[in-house]
This record gives sequence, structure tokens and C-alpha cells, in this order.
Amino acid sequence: MKGLKNIPSLLVWCTGFFILVSTKVFSQNAFDSLKIKSPKHYFNTLISLDSYRKPDRPFKDTSDLISKRLKRYGIKQLSFYFHAPLYTKDKTSGDGTIQNTHILLTGNFVSLRPVFDGLRDHNLIKFGVGLRYIYNTGKKGVWFVDMSPFVTRDITYPSSKPYYRLASTIVYSHNVSDKFNWRLGATKSFMWGNRLYLPFLGLRIGRLDKVNLSVQFPRSISLNVPMGSKVIFSFYSRSQGGMYNFSNADSLYYKKNVQTFHFSRYEINTGGRFDFRVTRNFNFYVATGLSTRNTISFYSDNANKKRVFYNKYFYSKSVAPTLFFNFGLVLKFGKTRSYYNNKNIYDAIDLNNTSSPNNAGNAQIPLTPKKKISDLNLKSVEDLVDYNDF
Amino acid sequence: MRFILHIFIFLALVNSSSAFAQNQKDKVEALRVDYITKRVELSSAESEKFWPIYNEYNDKIKAIRKNLRQSYRKGPENLSDQESEQLYILFVQSKQAEVDVHKQYNDKLKVIIGARKMVKLHLAEEEFRMKVMRSLNPKGEGE
Repeated sequence: MKGLKNIPSLLVWCTGFFILVSTKVFSQNAFDSLKIKSPKHYFNTLISLDSYRKPDRPFKDTSDLISKRLKRYGIKQLSFYFHAPLYTKDKTSGDGTIQNTHILLTGNFVSLRPVFDGLRDHNLIKFGVGLRYIYNTGKKGVWFVDMSPFVTRDITYPSSKPYYRLASTIVYSHNVSDKFNWRLGATKSFMWGNRLYLPFLGLRIGRLDKVNLSVQFPRSISLNVPMGSKVIFSFYSRSQGGMYNFSNADSLYYKKNVQTFHFSRYEINTGGRFDFRVTRNFNFYVATGLSTRNTISFYSDNANKKRVFYNKYFYSKSVAPTLFFNFGLVLKFGKTRSYYNNKNIYDAIDLNNTSSPNNAGNAQIPLTPKKKISDLNLKSVEDLVDYNDF
Repeated sequence: MRFILHIFIFLALVNSSSAFAQNQKDKVEALRVDYITKRVELSSAESEKFWPIYNEYNDKIKAIRKNLRQSYRKGPENLSDQESEQLYILFVQSKQAEVDVHKQYNDKLKVIIGARKMVKLHLAEEEFRMKVMRSLNPKGEGE
């Protein structure tokens, strides 16, 4: 009989338990049961088209035979770049921080036409597809790994050989605070016109969505000044260059049976750039300034076999500083998850941008409009208000 | 190369077709986040955890409302009885989902910023909503 006395309280506990469980189950499934398709990724699919020109200038040293043949040097370059998120995974840790893993597919295509007065036209192309891994610890750090295999070829002359290379970067980025960030890593890059293994050292003072000074060795130094929510002005100094295959059709290399050699270039561009955010999905930028240390080198592959660093060139000269002009269009596709004030995602976007060939990505970081709320229509706030608000 | 340029321009035109409304939405969202940041006075450590969760919470609420709004587009006079019944169920489910999401995420946020700042947050959200409502109807005229 004693046991029977406990039955009502047992029933109350059981009922309570089932209500709790069913509420829990219902609460977990209420959103899921709606089967709403939400954006998976934090990164937009982004494609950009970049046009870069440098007028030709005469070589400083004209006593050299090859310089006499080349006469002048300038650049016409058109590049196409894209990145697309492939995989995003969020994980909430015990203390409530949200960590996420991102894998992006990247690709770039460059058509470089070095302008030599004394040579026929050469169209040097570079094409690569790679993978990028970004891990946001949710606290202070972001890990970034990029692997970009690519092929270079002088497509004007079918007899020239293609050459396969791999550029890669690993960086750890640490947000000490909103206004201060440091980065440390290593990069294998051809940006300086050679195969180099360099440390990656970075520093940023100032918030990414406000005025900030960013130093990303070996790539760039920039002072970025948002002007409202639509325009960003950057004053920057940036190294640019690469290593390409060049047909020996003009017999620049004395061994005439060698059909291809390596053409490398680098320059340091210092100037100003305006980024215009025309719409959410379309931006463009214009940049101009002074291009200095305009250096080109020609390396024979045979003379540099199995060397990490190409150190035997048969020609290396520079031309006087010149102006450069840069214009680019950036398109973004798809919807992303919100990341307002999520400083680690901002940092991940910035890292992703730093590794893009034409820095085409920071337009994803939202800026606060200067204008106050005015002239809104219902369409613009329909996600914000419920009809119960009216 | 011209071919690529033409494709690019075509994509830009297609991609920017609904840009105006989207730009306005982004502007309102950025202003709202800015307003909340100023009013709630989050510390750096709180901010680090708060915004990823708050954004997720917000995305879910917006997604529920958008889903329901889209389902109502057809208009009641064009609905069959069965469709009306389905829509009614969807309405109830959506309201329930909103409540659940509010509860689930507010509990998470409270752990991070505490009850006092949660009150500040709710007030800031409400104040901002009122500002938006006033901007839609600045003279306070009702229909």
C-alpha cells in the first residue's frame, strides 16, 4: 500500500518529464520542421576582373645586346579571379563560442602582355585552381591555408612548353583586440619574380570596418579609409609580379634549340585606390600611382635545374619609374549568413582578400552608413518588422 | 578576353537587378547593429561571443518571417480549402518557431551578457524598431 501512495507523485513527475521532453523536442524541431533553406556560408562566391597597365619606358642600360633588342618595356595585364565557398561547418563550444571551418575553391587566370618595342607580341598566361582552408577558433585566432597549383604558358607560340608550379601560404592571425591584429606564417610565392619561401608577417592597427593601417609583408602596406558605407579609399604600396614561361621564338636566349625560358617581373606600386560599392553584389575599383623598381629577368630552365631559387639569369634589367593604372570589377553571388560585428569572420575575409591576386574581397565587410534612417520603404524593413508591429 | 568582359557585364546586369531593395535592407541592418552596439555597451570579451550568436538568431527570425510572407503571396481569395488549411498550419508553426528561437537564443545570450544587458538589448531593439516605423510614417498618419 505504501507503494501505491507514491503513484500520484510518480504520475506528476512522469507527466512533467514528458511535457519537458516533448517541449524540448518540439522546440528543437519547430524551426527545422519549417524546412527553410538558409544560407550555409559566410563567404560569397566572388568573381573579379582586373585590368592593369603600365606605359612602356626605355631600358636604363642600352649597352646590353638584349636591351638593345627589347628597347622599351611596359605591361598590359588582364586577370580574372574567383573564389567560391565549398564547405562551411559551425561548431558551438562549451563556453558558447561559435567556431567555424570554411573551405573555398579559388581560381585565377592572368593574361600578361609585356610590351617590348623590339619584339613581337607575347601573350603569357597563368591559370590556376586551388583550395583554401580557413578555421575560425571563435575566440582570438583564425588559421588560413592556401594551396594554388597553376600552369604558365606563352600561348602566342604553340611550340613553347607549359610549366607547372605551386604557390602556397599558411598563416595564423590573432586578434588581440578590435583595433589590433598580428599575423604570422610562411608563404611560397612567385610574386617577387622568383620561387621564394618567405615568412608572412602582418600587422593591423585599427578596426577593419573603420580607418586602419595594414602591413602584410611581403605583399602590401595600406592605409584604408572608409568614406561612408559606399566608398573606401586606400593609400597603398604593394609588390606585384610573377614568373611566366616565355617563348624563345625571338631567339633572345642564345641556345636557339631551347624553345622556352622563364620571364619574371616585379614592381612596387605606390598609389591610391578607390573601391566603390555600387550595390550589394557589384563593386568596382580604380587605382593609380607610381610603379617603381620595374625589373624583369630571363632565366633559362636548364641553367637553374633543381634549384629552389633561380639564380642564373641571362638577362636582368629595370626601367625607370612609371605611372600605373588599375581598374577592376567585382561581382558577388549568393546570400551569406550574417556576420555583423563578428570580428573573426571579418578577419577571415581580410585574410582571404590579402591572398587574392587583386585584393578583391574586403567589400564583403559591412560598413556603417553615415546617413540616418530616412526615406525607407516597407520592402526594405520587411525582415525586421513583424506585422504585429503595425 | 572581350568574351570574358561581355560575360562579366551581362552577369553584373543580371546580378544587380534587385539591388536597390537589398541595399536598403543592408543599410537598415547595419544601422540596427550599430544602434544596438552603442546602446548595449558590450565589452570586448562579450562582443566576441555575442555577435556570432546574435547574428544566427537574427537570421533565423528573418528566415521564418520571410518564409511565411512568401507563402501568403497568393492571396486568400485564390486559395483552395486545403491550401488555406496548410497555410494556417504554417502560420501556427511559424509563430511557434519564432517563440522557440527567441527562447533558445535569448537563453544563450543571457549566459554571455547577463540579464541587465539583455534588458538593454530588448529596449534597444524596440527603440530601433520604433525609429524605423516612424521613418515609414513620419507624420504619424494611420490608414
